[in-house]
Amino acid sequence: MKTTRRKFLKWSGVGALGAVVFGGCTIPERELLVQSPAQLPEDLVSGLEAWYATACGQCGAGEGVIVRVIEGRAIKIEGNPDHPVSRGKSMARCQAGVQALYNPTRLAGPMKLAGPRGSGQYQEVSWEEALAEVAEALGFQAPSSVVLMTEPLRGTLGMMAQRFMAAYGGQHIAYDALEQTTLQAAMKQVFGTDQLPDVDIEHSDYVLSFAADFLSSWLTPVRYNRGYGEFRQGGEARGTLVQVESRFSMTAANADQWVYVEPGREGEVALSIAYVLMAEHAGAINPAAVNAMTDGRGAPALQAFNPASVAQTSGVSAERIREMAKALADHPHSVVIGGGSAGATTNGLFNLAAIYALNHLIGSLGRSGGIIFNPPSPVADLPATAKVGSFEECQGLAERMRGGQVKLALVHSANPVYGLPASLGFAEALGQVEKVISFSSFMDETTAFADLILPDHVYLEAWGDDIPEPGPGYQVVTFQQPVVKPFLNTQSFGDSLLKIADKLGGNVKQALPWGSMKDALKATAQKLQALNRGSVQSPSFDAFWNTVLQRGGWWDIAHKGSKPPAPLPKLPTSRMEPRFEGPAEGDAFFLVPFASHTLGDGKGANLPWLQGIPDPLTTVAWQTWVEINRRKAMEEWDIKEGDELEITGPGGAIRALAYLHPGVSEGAICIPTGQGHTQYGDYEIGPDLFRNKVGTGRGDSVFAALAAAKVEGAGALAWAANRVRFRKTGRNIRVAKFEGPVYPDFHLIEEFVPVSKPGSSL
Amino acid sequence: MQQRVVLPQPQVNAELLKNALRAPLWYWGIMAFLGAIVVAGSVAVGFLMNKGFGLSGTNRPVMWGILIVDFVFWIGISHAGVMLSAILRLSKAEWRRPATRAAEVLTVFSLMIAALHPVVHAGRPWRIIYWSFPYDFSRGLWVNIRSPLIWDPSAIFTYLTGSALFVIVALIPDMAVIRDHTTGLKQKVYRALAMGWRGTPRQWKLQIVAGFLLSALLLPVFVSVHSIVSWDFAVMIGVEGYHVTIFAPYFVIGAVHSGVSAVVTMMILMKWMFGWGSYIREEHVESLAKLLIVIGTTWLYFFFVEFSFALYSMESQEIALREMQAFTWPYWPLALTFILFSYIIPIPLWLFRKVRRNFKIMFWTSLLVNIGMWLERFLIIVPSLARKQVWPFDWSTYHPSAIEVLIVVTAYALVFLLLMTFAKLFPLIPLFDIKEGQTLSDDIVIGKRRVPALRVEE
Amino acid sequence: MVSTPRERKWQMVVDVDRCTGCQACVVACQAENNIPFNSESHFKQGRTFSWIRIERYWEGEFPDVKARFLPFLCQHCDNAPCEPVCPVFATYHNNEGLNVQVYNRCVGTRFCQNNCPYHARFFNYWEPVWPVQMRNSLNPDVTVRGRGIMEKCTFCVQRIRRAELDAKRQEREVRDGDFQPACAQACPTSALVFGDVKDPQSRIHEGLANKRRFRLREELGTEPNVVYLSKVDSEAKEAAGHA
Ligand SMILES: Nc1nc2c(c(=O)[nH]1)N[C@H]1C(S)=C(S)[C@@H](COP(=O)(O)OP(=O)(O)OC[C@H]3O[C@@H](n4cnc5c(=O)[nH]c(N)nc54)[C@H](O)[C@@H]3O)O[C@H]1N2
Ligand code: SF4
Ligand code: SF4
Ligand code: SF4
Ligand code: SF4
Ligand code: SF4
Repeated sequence: MKTTRRKFLKWSGVGALGAVVFGGCTIPERELLVQSPAQLPEDLVSGLEAWYATACGQCGAGEGVIVRVIEGRAIKIEGNPDHPVSRGKSMARCQAGVQALYNPTRLAGPMKLAGPRGSGQYQEVSWEEALAEVAEALGFQAPSSVVLMTEPLRGTLGMMAQRFMAAYGGQHIAYDALEQTTLQAAMKQVFGTDQLPDVDIEHSDYVLSFAADFLSSWLTPVRYNRGYGEFRQGGEARGTLVQVESRFSMTAANADQWVYVEPGREGEVALSIAYVLMAEHAGAINPAAVNAMTDGRGAPALQAFNPASVAQTSGVSAERIREMAKALADHPHSVVIGGGSAGATTNGLFNLAAIYALNHLIGSLGRSGGIIFNPPSPVADLPATAKVGSFEECQGLAERMRGGQVKLALVHSANPVYGLPASLGFAEALGQVEKVISFSSFMDETTAFADLILPDHVYLEAWGDDIPEPGPGYQVVTFQQPVVKPFLNTQSFGDSLLKIADKLGGNVKQALPWGSMKDALKATAQKLQALNRGSVQSPSFDAFWNTVLQRGGWWDIAHKGSKPPAPLPKLPTSRMEPRFEGPAEGDAFFLVPFASHTLGDGKGANLPWLQGIPDPLTTVAWQTWVEINRRKAMEEWDIKEGDELEITGPGGAIRALAYLHPGVSEGAICIPTGQGHTQYGDYEIGPDLFRNKVGTGRGDSVFAALAAAKVEGAGALAWAANRVRFRKTGRNIRVAKFEGPVYPDFHLIEEFVPVSKPGSSL
Repeated sequence: MQQRVVLPQPQVNAELLKNALRAPLWYWGIMAFLGAIVVAGSVAVGFLMNKGFGLSGTNRPVMWGILIVDFVFWIGISHAGVMLSAILRLSKAEWRRPATRAAEVLTVFSLMIAALHPVVHAGRPWRIIYWSFPYDFSRGLWVNIRSPLIWDPSAIFTYLTGSALFVIVALIPDMAVIRDHTTGLKQKVYRALAMGWRGTPRQWKLQIVAGFLLSALLLPVFVSVHSIVSWDFAVMIGVEGYHVTIFAPYFVIGAVHSGVSAVVTMMILMKWMFGWGSYIREEHVESLAKLLIVIGTTWLYFFFVEFSFALYSMESQEIALREMQAFTWPYWPLALTFILFSYIIPIPLWLFRKVRRNFKIMFWTSLLVNIGMWLERFLIIVPSLARKQVWPFDWSTYHPSAIEVLIVVTAYALVFLLLMTFAKLFPLIPLFDIKEGQTLSDDIVIGKRRVPALRVEE
Repeated sequence: MVSTPRERKWQMVVDVDRCTGCQACVVACQAENNIPFNSESHFKQGRTFSWIRIERYWEGEFPDVKARFLPFLCQHCDNAPCEPVCPVFATYHNNEGLNVQVYNRCVGTRFCQNNCPYHARFFNYWEPVWPVQMRNSLNPDVTVRGRGIMEKCTFCVQRIRRAELDAKRQEREVRDGDFQPACAQACPTSALVFGDVKDPQSRIHEGLANKRRFRLREELGTEPNVVYLSKVDSEAKEAAGHA
């Protein structure tokens, strides 16, 4: 053995220390390197860094990010300061992208099932073989028996998937566990567009939000948080935020006022506000809208929603309703939005339509501080809106699968087996499908059914583009470029589609004429270049292409969305009662599920940063918890923090740890989404002696307790339409929360968190 | 008033040296038991160093746990030796004689063990010497002399050096006795240790002078050591309940309270184990108990002053902390035990002469004091950290881990083991001091009674 | 060491009224500074790392309940209580107002954390471990701390140094906006503003001049370099006892 200097140091060090300390302990090698004892090592940085702009693939918002790359490794993700939506800002989920890239459980290459389905036994195959097999399967089956399930797709890839299935003749369905189909339907009803709304929060002076948790998970939280900061302290006067919601969400926590409303009654409250606006503030609202929306009858049309009677059902006092109406009328830049649980009861569409209709009365559509829509896509066949298959469509698909009408299912980054309520039986239905082929980067509950897996790149390795939705009100295309070389034997879904099309030939090939995903993207770029307007213009394509990639996209501030000329909706004159599944009376509680701040629909559950970030309100991490009323739990139910509760819903029973929450009503319990994966790759992190799994084996999923109830008129899953019972299982498990275990029994919070009054000089 | 049993010198030699010369079987049994604990503890320390301090029960607010409690406790115990030897020697208290050696040796060993605690408790013990020794002259890197953690080792090592010298000086005449009673290799060793002692008047004079000088020198050091240990806490502005000006005297007097109690416990154990009934007699224990009444009461006064100062400040944080120490689970049972054990049970009992002269009761009550005083340190250190911040978000609790408990138990076993080893090698009761007492003794006649007294040389 | 041509003093302004408690800063800091993953056991053992953390305070009970968020990070006290107690000078003040932690010297006494009134320091109870693949995303500018030592917010000193190097290459001074610490860069509500108070052009002066300005536990005399702007709440009770 040659003795190098390092080895010498190491052994002499171990020898000397071993004599002092105890034989057998090894000293980490790092300890023995010569280090500066006088300086912070960070004082001596060196090496070159590069920043690449690309599109974010961590959630559906489609924002631009920049990635710091050093020696071929992606190190850090930040918001792209040039990008119109993120403007240099980011959130926890965006930051965690590098952990998706370097996830140890990424599927490393194409694989074929080697045992019975679900056994998890796969054998490696070559890309050539895998693609040939897909083409063969597609060629063999009747196109009508083939279905492609993807995540919601926009931009070039969305166009390709659409064209592919259109030319082939199969069904393409985009699946999203936190679907916004009810919101889209409401937009159609109220504003005549199926785009998602953007809210000009930064210029608003009064935001009335019905259950839209826009500071945490709703639509495009980075953009809304950015607006919120300005809304609070950016302008002359501090804006006022009122949150009407049946759960104390993060947005409610930041609101100036949180108004508790019984689940499913949000629409009534909105209509009651409309009533008060017409009856008491007629001068401050748009008379034309009143006329059109009530057939000229005005306030009497909404007599059924007078505050006194709505107060009885909704739990919102008549006085509060009048206050909110007055505030809407008094503030010149007020806006009303809604979403979340307000749209997830059986009458969710009624609720959202009523809520958004208020904007017509106060005239906030398209004005500063109001609601904004994107203009249409700058390139004709480039989808600017992801058409998402509603829960109803998924249910229909499951029916067809069960009936043997679906022979071949192609899945890409969609995980319906996890996200659809267990009561729908999607897993068994998928089991009936002859052949399942997955294009996912990770083993998940749906991919576990796959007979063949052709793993996708992670977005940081792939070409692509996206059109952010909701956008900033003008045309934007975010460009996505690989910031690192793929280091596994994966291939982007777009390239896989193109190669399959090659093999199929015929009209499929004609529909997808490009050689590679990059070529397809270049074709899109050429169309943008041809527009000859916007942030990047150049007569040379190379210059255009390079600049677009450098800046992370193309946008045209001048091309604003015009107010869609749609007839104003009629306001309903009678109530639509919400219906709830599960036990009706007695000891039943409303179940209010909510999207986890970090894990989202569960996609983030395999990333340690997202698992290890405390929930903003409860500070719980790594676990599924259930929020129950603190006072009742202590005084009547005899439940302590960490008591495991079995929650029996109409769809099944799940377990969760009790968190005594001062902000939960006595009649409801709240459970976050995101945990409860049974298949999401297995790996462990943590100190040697206390390692814990990431992804799987982490508590239950709230989806498993839900009934297959639908939002009437929209077909979306009514995930907030359940009543449940719970009981203690007798186990108590320490809650992994960030806050200390001691609940302070004195409440002098202002002593710790100084508060001043608006306009006061402290 | 003291009774005296006058024993012939050969008997004194035989009885006090019997361990040193030939040990009974039970001795080896105890040694094996203690040795096993120490081995287990060493393995625990090794494991701790290998895996990390995560094996302790400490957490983010409570960064210091029972190892620091035990550190303060052992520093406290170490105050017995000098307190007894030096003060009593200087004040010529006659009853000190059988107690001094054991007390001094206890000082040395408990200091050594105490100093180990913060080392084991550190994140990277193997680097402590490296960085806390000001070796790096070329780069101008020095230790931070503003930190009490630098004052601590300075004080402890000064005290340790002084006490060790103190023990050695007092041991020399006895070494000579053993030298004269052994043969072969043993004799050679003791000859070396006796350093040519022949018992000439000049040698005796020097030995006595050295003893007095060291006593006088060590007194301020002994006061400083625990004062400095108290400043480990008192300098912390960040911790409510720590930054208290009275901490230094309060810690010192508390240390003496527990240290002297420990000496009582140990003397009674020695009497029982080695059958030294004729040396360790009721009057010795009684005198110590009287001393303890005074010390304990002074300590109690300081305790109340500390507590009431906190309340008097009218700071809500301080008051909340005191309230927690006294009334909140799991601290209130500890607080109750602590005040019962360290004062309310023993001190009133000791007011009775019969109790003071009863070895059994004295053994158990002195033991209680030490349990109580250990809890006192726990209650000073842990609750303050558990509620360190004014903002309650991080408030926490602390449960020592099994490894920490094992290490604390090992510290006790190790001190005991060292004492037993010492008892095997050297006389735990100073031969010369006992003989000196006897030689200088005289009886005087008061009325019809003969009363023992010291012959006073002109 | 990089020579500093102009005197600098870094400060941060935290506008509590903007903060939504979204935790973006927390993850950004973890990503930037190679902070060990907080596993489930880190939470259960009360040893979570979070150089910047959001404390959430409940006020009241349903339905009159409020939650308040307060971001905490090392205050880089000019008169830092953590510094004098460290026996080995592992933590000291540099001439730019930063409280610096020299990992190589730290022996892990945890004295500094005990004396930090802001609870800003984090002890490595365990050797940090990363799954092999995930080591790819470690920031090469930042040391990975071994077990047994203290760590805490550095004000992203590596970013300061990089900005200085870049400025030097371009033969100019560091300008406001050349860089931001990771937390401030991520913060979607712009609740965190970082800057050099010696630079009259710095955006930080806007915050420093704000009437809502206060510093945490000012009465201790620690002279923090993090300045807070208080939460605004029309319904709040009279704010008690703070400057
Ligand atoms: N620069 C300067 N310094 C001086 C002196 C000087 O002349 N000039 N004079 C010196 C002299 S002589 C003195 S006596 C000291 C005085 O020094 P301090 O003793 O500090 O006196 P004060 O500042 O008058 O008040 C002390 C605190 O007691 C509070 N207080 C008032 N009434 C009560 C009560 O009933 N209960 C309690 N708990 N608190 C109460 C007050 O609000 C105040 O905060 O200052 C000395 N320092
Ligand atoms: S909000 Fe979503 S799309 Fe936007 S940067 Fe974050 S994770 Fe990416
Ligand atoms: S906040 Fe704490 S760690 Fe930071 S400088 Fe101040 S005392 Fe030191
Ligand atoms: S833990 Fe480290 S930095 Fe803190 S006082 Fe100890 S040696 Fe110094
Ligand atoms: S300044 Fe840098 S080190 Fe400090 S909290 Fe922010 S990101 Fe972390
Ligand atoms: S990123 Fe900003 S808004 Fe979010 S928690 Fe941190 S300081 Fe608050």
